Amino acid sequence: MKKKKMTAKARKEAVTGLLFITPTIIGLLILNYYPIFETVYQSLCRTGDFGIGNTFIGLENFVRLFQDKEVFRTLWNSVKYAALSLPLTIAISLVLAVLLNRKMHMRGLYRTIFFLPMVCAPAAVAMVWKWMFNQDYGLLNHIFHAKINWVTDPKIALIAIVIVGVWSSIGNNMILLLGGLQDIPRDYYEAASVDGSSGVHCFLHITIPLLSPMLFFIIQTGIMGALQLFDLPFMIMDESSRAWPSVKTITYLFYEYAFVKSERGYGAAIIMFLICIISILTYLLQKSEAKWVHYD
Amino acid sequence: MIKRAMAILLASTMAVSMAACGSSSSGSDAGAGSSNGGDKTISVAIWDPNQLDGLQQIADEWGAESGYTVDFTVPGWDGYWTMLEAGVSGGEMPDVFWMHSNNAEKYMGSGVLMNLDSYIENDDSVDLNNYFEGITDLYTHDGSVYALPKDHDTIAVVYNKAIFDKYGIAYPTDDWTWEEFAATAQEISDKGKDDGVYGTYCNTGSNQDTWYNIIYSYGGEVITEDKTASGYDEPATIEAMKFVAEKILPACPSPDSMASTGGDTMFLSGLVGMICQGSWTVNNFYTADNADDFGWVMMPYADVNGNGQCEKEERCSIYNGLGWSVYSQTDEADACWSLISYLTNKESQIKQSELGVTMAGYIGCSEPFAEAFGDMDVSAFVNIEEQGTLIFRPYSKSTAIWEDDASKALVDVWSAPETMEETLHQIADKMNTTLAAEK
Repeated sequence: MKKKKMTAKARKEAVTGLLFITPTIIGLLILNYYPIFETVYQSLCRTGDFGIGNTFIGLENFVRLFQDKEVFRTLWNSVKYAALSLPLTIAISLVLAVLLNRKMHMRGLYRTIFFLPMVCAPAAVAMVWKWMFNQDYGLLNHIFHAKINWVTDPKIALIAIVIVGVWSSIGNNMILLLGGLQDIPRDYYEAASVDGSSGVHCFLHITIPLLSPMLFFIIQTGIMGALQLFDLPFMIMDESSRAWPSVKTITYLFYEYAFVKSERGYGAAIIMFLICIISILTYLLQKSEAKWVHYD
Repeated sequence: MIKRAMAILLASTMAVSMAACGSSSSGSDAGAGSSNGGDKTISVAIWDPNQLDGLQQIADEWGAESGYTVDFTVPGWDGYWTMLEAGVSGGEMPDVFWMHSNNAEKYMGSGVLMNLDSYIENDDSVDLNNYFEGITDLYTHDGSVYALPKDHDTIAVVYNKAIFDKYGIAYPTDDWTWEEFAATAQEISDKGKDDGVYGTYCNTGSNQDTWYNIIYSYGGEVITEDKTASGYDEPATIEAMKFVAEKILPACPSPDSMASTGGDTMFLSGLVGMICQGSWTVNNFYTADNADDFGWVMMPYADVNGNGQCEKEERCSIYNGLGWSVYSQTDEADACWSLISYLTNKESQIKQSELGVTMAGYIGCSEPFAEAFGDMDVSAFVNIEEQGTLIFRPYSKSTAIWEDDASKALVDVWSAPETMEETLHQIADKMNTTLAAEK
């Protein structure tokens, strides 16, 4: 095909457009792409202090990684977190979105209430929950007159983290789903009700399929986010807790090597490993898209 | 998250380097006008805001003599190291800054700090023998000195008189053993059971302020003197740590409680009777609402030889000290040296104690610190210098790794004290591997 030549006006427009996105492009290049390549390079090095004196050691870090039980233990913790939190988040925010999509009294207020956790700084959220979970002086145990070791019992600590994670991400997902719901034309429901469909039937056969693009987006970003969990356990728990090994995530392991033990190279290898896993999951998800996501 | 963290890190790097650019250009402006003097600036970075006022005062005295302005930046502990790390890579650094045992090896080994040897040789007023040996050793690398000792810190026990009064227990005195410490703590825990009050607090991470001191009082060690082997499997160390497991821990809140709430928080809330604390924390207690309730006593001793008296080596406090260092690429090397040698001379070191900034790095200049906090007597920190032994905080090149490993391994022991000895052997093995890899 022959390339069309740009008219002067079109060229001018393109240049203006480029000018507008230049700050973002520069930001992306410096803040995202350069670090990505640097990380790849560092994962192949035994790093020196201050990035001076890196020695190239090939795949040695990765050989070590595959023999390191802690990598797989922490990865498993991250996977468990994702597997627990994602379905809960989606289910709850879907129900809330459907409920808040009806005409109802004080709808705006409810939407605001559920969205509010999104406005809070994650670190502040974590600190507040940390004190609510405190086994001796915490609000939760006080209200329930219980003596539950929320974040120090290895059996339930991860669940406590999941609770906070779900609580803080419901609002955002609810808004996204609400947007999706409002795009569904009323006619479908009217037609279905004329045909005698029940509410549940409508939900399963009209709402879900037509919401699937939005659900797909939420699942995809949700998996990425959950596997990169770092801030909640870091802020809520103490390393001297016996429950810590059952919650420690792979991104924390990366942090520990890169910033505490100053082994940047090995840290970079760990994070490359995580990127590969996330990429594979994303690829599989994209493959499955055609089977269940309807864009019409 | 990582992306965001990287973005923030890089953004702050950029901000810092921009800020540094700004300051350097103003520096060169000042340099251009150096003929009239007076407005040249030395930038100094520290991390502890509690010390700013006192240090600024001393630095201003130097400034009045030398004609320089001393400009302090206080980014806080985490921000401080991020700033230096970025500064080294980006080339813009404060002229003068603090060094700490956690990072000294790394900074000395990579040429970031100015070698002070020639200055020390040519300056008769500076004699390193006047300073605490552990601190000068710490800042010596391959025989060269990279920082002058700024201060030293020791450990003492702070107790809550209100709790002792409530349960009718006599206040502790300087003449007490670790056995008595444990018995007192146990008595408080027993009597305070219904109130949720505990005798003392010792977490797995309370090494520098608590269990390291016990190890050395019992004659044990964490690392051998030549820093080539772990001391965790030595009989005396094992005995000391078994004492911690069997006598101290039962008088503490449960391990789960300690993992959720910090010792100083519990103490300040009146839930713990006494805790071991470093001299750098005094201000926390001095500024508390119920500061009148707090008293300080010297660290207990371990009556190892059983003669009922305290031998000097039976009473130990871990000590540590910061150093004043100079950036190797600074344009004002002579002025920087003049500043740090002023900050560490005898008069300034005494003044630093008087102002309650910290105790001195210069031996024998810490006396005034004891009276620096009004009615609160903190002489326990100073007295142990004479009546006990100061042990420099155990370190080697890879402290960050083996200290972290040890704390982690002890987490399980805290819930199952009977496994202490076995775990100590494992800690020692792992630490020996780490130490062997240093070479």
